[in-house]
Amino acid sequence: MVEQSDEAPAQDVVDLLVEQHALIRDLFAEATGADGRDRRPAFERLVRLLAIHETAEEEVVHPLARRALDGGDGVVEDRLAEEREAKEMLGRLDEMDPESPEFAPLLNQLRDAVLAHAQYEERYEFRYLRQQSTPDQLRRLVTAVRAAEAVAPTHPHPGNESATGNLLAGPVLALFDRMKDAVQQSSRDES
Amino acid sequence: MTFNPLRERGIPLDQQIRNWRELDVTPIDPDHADPYTRCRVITMNGIEVEAVLFSHQFARNCLDPDVQRKLAEVRYVEHQQQKAVNWLLPGGASPLETTIAYEQVAVDLTAWVARMEPDPYLKQAYQFGVLEDFDHLYRYANLYEMVQHRKAEKIVDGLTEVMPGRPTKYHHRHPADNVREPYDRNEASPLSKLHALTIMSAEQQTMNFYMNVGPQYMEPIARQLYQEIGLIEEEHVTHYESLVDPGETWWERLVNHEYNECYLYYSFMETESDPKVRAIWELHLNMELEHLRIACELMRQNDGREPEEVLAPELPNALTFEPNKAYLRELLDTQIDLTTLGAGYVREAHERFERMQEQIHGGEEPPSERVIDEHRERFGRDYRLETEGPHPVARLREDQSARA
Repeated sequence: MVEQSDEAPAQDVVDLLVEQHALIRDLFAEATGADGRDRRPAFERLVRLLAIHETAEEEVVHPLARRALDGGDGVVEDRLAEEREAKEMLGRLDEMDPESPEFAPLLNQLRDAVLAHAQYEERYEFRYLRQQSTPDQLRRLVTAVRAAEAVAPTHPHPGNESATGNLLAGPVLALFDRMKDAVQQSSRDES
Repeated sequence: MTFNPLRERGIPLDQQIRNWRELDVTPIDPDHADPYTRCRVITMNGIEVEAVLFSHQFARNCLDPDVQRKLAEVRYVEHQQQKAVNWLLPGGASPLETTIAYEQVAVDLTAWVARMEPDPYLKQAYQFGVLEDFDHLYRYANLYEMVQHRKAEKIVDGLTEVMPGRPTKYHHRHPADNVREPYDRNEASPLSKLHALTIMSAEQQTMNFYMNVGPQYMEPIARQLYQEIGLIEEEHVTHYESLVDPGETWWERLVNHEYNECYLYYSFMETESDPKVRAIWELHLNMELEHLRIACELMRQNDGREPEEVLAPELPNALTFEPNKAYLRELLDTQIDLTTLGAGYVREAHERFERMQEQIHGGEEPPSERVIDEHRERFGRDYRLETEGPHPVARLREDQSARA
């Protein structure tokens, strides 16, 4: 469930992703603050948003950053490594009972990792995208991110952080692929 | 309260140096920490920064190399205290979030001091200033929602209201009108001296913070707003530092600084909700007791006076972070139109004020107005957190001010 933005449509892709970072942070605060049985629904909302958000970044924003930023390849590789690590933690959490004693410490660890990752993106990637891309370019990419939201998977899967990494097969991965296809289709329609 | 810092024994100075492991404090949680824990951290950072800067100034004015060496020794420890305290802030919080927390400190710390201040002229100085910090909080909160898509209530947590105060554009007064009259060092209550030092230090730290953080922003409105409010912090430091009697000797000032640090660490130790942070306040109190003993010793040797002549016989009531909503609403209702003329306060826009306003604004709306306009354009409203009902000043209620 991604909340509708109450902003004017002039929003660009950086606005949208920063807004999602804020929402992710709130959902983490909710999930880490919840006890026992309230934790599962909060965690599920978080997982869903993280999956949408990370796929959109991988498919839409990182490729642009690779092209547009000086040192873009290195910056994007660092972000992808962080995303892989986060997805592994997410996968482990998903298999755990949220009421088990190991769940909360791992969720906290994931929160620290994801929020640091978001800060790095904002500081080392997004701010330069604003400098290096035209406003129109950044606005058009919003549609591609919205397309990812429309497919909305429920589970992320490690090993799928880049457009080339397609090593594992399975229902979860198929969902990722559908989302990726939707984003790519939307990008083609736009161009 | 019967705690008398002049009689307590602290940690011997030669045992106060901490190693890297001891300085590597665990930061508070950016989303779950008590907002007033963060306020105490920000306050004590400002106090330690002042301790360090004051000691440097003293050393530069001191002819005795033995005293310079003693100052250097204590100052190094004060600097380690600054590191331990300020590093409690989490790296995950953005500078704008820290800024909003700084303004929450300015609002609730100054309001508490205004409530407790026994001298009416000094009380008026705090009442005047707090309505400006209150408005800064509102302006930054609107910037925050624009650039970070988050609401300031996540930071202030409903403890402090966010709504217009005395409009920031009217804070730009002629600099000469920011100089107040000092208290008399022989007549003033010891509590008044501690209050003036505390608020001066907090505002000075805010001024330093905005000077350095402002240009790190990319958004033009953010850069401009930090410039504008940063210049008002210059006015506030002038306003509050001029309350302190400049006739105090260097030794007297040193003793007052150390005593104030004891007072604040003791207060925060008494009121802290986070046990790990409380342990730091307690440790630092035990260090400060020794710094105070050394300062008293220097005063006896060099000033020929007993520190008891200038200090309180026991600590005043613990300085407490708590909501001041009703008090602030009353001030909004009664003092929003004030400005300064010379060392006093007036309601009319006098000639010198008008001339300064023309010069600084150059016929345009300042950043503090544009941030609200831009916010309204994007969100269809300004950002406010009015937990106790509509704004006490009718013309500053949301629909009225949107039309204005």
